[in-house]
Amino acid sequence: MQSQQPHKAVISGALPLKSHLPGYVWGILAPLACTLIDWPLRHWLGPASILMTYLLGVFLVASRYGRGASIVASLLSAPVFAFYFARPIFSFAIHDLENIIGLVVMIVVANVTGSLLEKSKIQAELAAQREALASALYRLSHDLSTAQDHDTVAQIAVKHIHDEFGVASMLLNIDAENHLQMPSYLALPGVDLASAQRIFENRTAKQDNNFGYYPLKGSRAWQGILIIQAAQPFPWQGSELSAFIDTFCHLIAQTLERLQFAAQAKEATLQAESEALRNALLSSISHDLRTPLTRIIGAAGTLIESDSDLSVAERQDFNHIVLDEAQRMSELTGKLLDMARLSSGEINLHPDWNAIEEIVGSALNRLDKHLKDRPVRTVLPDSLPLLWIDGVLMEQVLVNLIENAVKYSPAGSPIDIGGLAREGSCRLSVADYGPGIAKGQELKIFDKFYRGIAESEQSGVGLGLALCKAIVEAHGGLIQAGNRAGKGAEFVIELPLRDPPQFAEPEITGSLS
Amino acid sequence: MTTSHLILLIEDDIQTRRFLKSSLNHRGWQTVEADNGKTGLAMLNSENPDLVILDLGLPDMDGIAVTRRLRQLSDLPILILSARSQEQNKIMALDAGADDYLTKPFGSGELHARLQALMRRISRGIANQEIFETGQLRVDLTRRKVFVGENEVRITPIEFRLLSILIRHAGLVVTHRQLLQEVWGAEHIHDQHYLRIYLGQLRHKLEINPARPRYLLTEMGVGYRLAVDDHSSQD
Repeated sequence: MQSQQPHKAVISGALPLKSHLPGYVWGILAPLACTLIDWPLRHWLGPASILMTYLLGVFLVASRYGRGASIVASLLSAPVFAFYFARPIFSFAIHDLENIIGLVVMIVVANVTGSLLEKSKIQAELAAQREALASALYRLSHDLSTAQDHDTVAQIAVKHIHDEFGVASMLLNIDAENHLQMPSYLALPGVDLASAQRIFENRTAKQDNNFGYYPLKGSRAWQGILIIQAAQPFPWQGSELSAFIDTFCHLIAQTLERLQFAAQAKEATLQAESEALRNALLSSISHDLRTPLTRIIGAAGTLIESDSDLSVAERQDFNHIVLDEAQRMSELTGKLLDMARLSSGEINLHPDWNAIEEIVGSALNRLDKHLKDRPVRTVLPDSLPLLWIDGVLMEQVLVNLIENAVKYSPAGSPIDIGGLAREGSCRLSVADYGPGIAKGQELKIFDKFYRGIAESEQSGVGLGLALCKAIVEAHGGLIQAGNRAGKGAEFVIELPLRDPPQFAEPEITGSLS
Repeated sequence: MTTSHLILLIEDDIQTRRFLKSSLNHRGWQTVEADNGKTGLAMLNSENPDLVILDLGLPDMDGIAVTRRLRQLSDLPILILSARSQEQNKIMALDAGADDYLTKPFGSGELHARLQALMRRISRGIANQEIFETGQLRVDLTRRKVFVGENEVRITPIEFRLLSILIRHAGLVVTHRQLLQEVWGAEHIHDQHYLRIYLGQLRHKLEINPARPRYLLTEMGVGYRLAVDDHSSQD
């Protein structure tokens, strides 16, 4: 937005222009002045010349103050001229036909020039005002063109109406159900939302109780209502300004509509993206669920069909395949359900005070099977404070991260888990001794359905890290992936700290039963 | 297991019932089945079972209500089967008196470990036991002494109370609410941070690696479980 001179109430309400009083004073003074000038010269000047000076006076008054004043001047000039200069002097009677004609001509000329001048003057002022209106509209449309959201539009509209008309106003947007919404700020005191809603639904502008209501109509739908506060009667009622206000409103409505269209377009893009995501999910699921299913069906089928041909060891083997693959599917569906719950936006956190050591312990316990050949090194200082988190979900985060570390590092290599309390936050890390994260992938790996290697042997639909991110962020925390110099991948979680909980009962009072 | 105990199986899915029945019979349990809550409750009197396995998602009655009714009628061990979506119900059922739970899907290994723990509770009466032993951990309940290996460990009265409650339910889950209520009283049932602190202290005293506990296990969002190794409690 370019910087602008403040246009303090450029556009006034009433058109005709200046007070008439000084004009009439001059209308009286001009003939008297002409009389004073002409009186000493009366012996040298003929009545025609004297009439000309009166005509000049009338003309000057007309040019300056318009028709009314010039008529006063001319009507006053007539008796003064008749009294002082037309024979018989010092009498209002006029004997000369010539002087009578002169006077009549003067009055007519005064009248005509006065109205001509006034007309041109009004034209000029109208032109100036139209220009002011046009530039006001230009400024408004310029500012509105930069607006990116409804609040900004409201601010710009209110500011411009204040600058151009010197009055306060308020813009009410509508919600999805066509209900007007009170703005959280810039609200005009005394506006009743219910009556605004009524007027908005009537679709016609209305003046009521010092407020002017202007429903905003876009090209397709009604966008909201503009409420202007001004003392009654409304200065722009019925005048050219009313059309101007309409244009003003129209511009605002169009901007609101533009934003609406933009939002719709964005939503359509999002929808297309989620469509793409759904497709990715389908292809991912079809791979990750079909693989174990194929094995289960194959193994179970073999067990049924060739039961007698199989050795005990073979039968055992096939049974284990069924069990293992079914367990894999169970884990996978669990993750899918979690993700569905989280991404549908209904993350229901059940936070409570939790100890990190306990959550780490529980996660490691759940992963016992996967960690048989893995040394796990935990560095968790005793001074770690309790965290106000959802223990179940945060355990899931750790399980996913540790599982991930196991998956992407060589068998037998250790896994490091660390915790560190800092000013206002707590840092948790899970690190491995694998090849690390490829450059440029540090953010991508948190995307849904992203996998290091597509269709690889690794199971899992690439939901684990996306889940972690969703859960950590739901806690107001941060999760980042990186590499430790010369070691491997490291995932770091930062969680906000709260004031620690109170203990009502000291240990001493606990008694043995 | 030589004595043949009778298990009442309240589960509406016929396939799950079949798998449970066959697995249980194989391990020497007798079973009677009910496919809804009302029948199940009626069978409690007619069949006089030793243990109840109760599915939380029954067609006719709320699983929690069934649990409550079962508890009113008897002191039988109750094992709950819950689906993932019934997390909250599971905890409510445990607080209502159920003894332990299994989340579907589960393997027969888990099932039998739970049943063993439950049967230990009724047949041995751990509450009246003098010495509790698991792994390196030995607790003398009458003299209130705790040993890890050969070394005596000094623990505070509250820590001892927590430990003895867990021993009373050895192998079974004890909910946060149960622990808080028994140790600190009803007005503290929401003060989970007490448990975090005291269980943390206990782990530091009893576990070799408190960040990877062997005895004092956490059931996230539910409570705690004192692990027992199956051999130490056989004799």
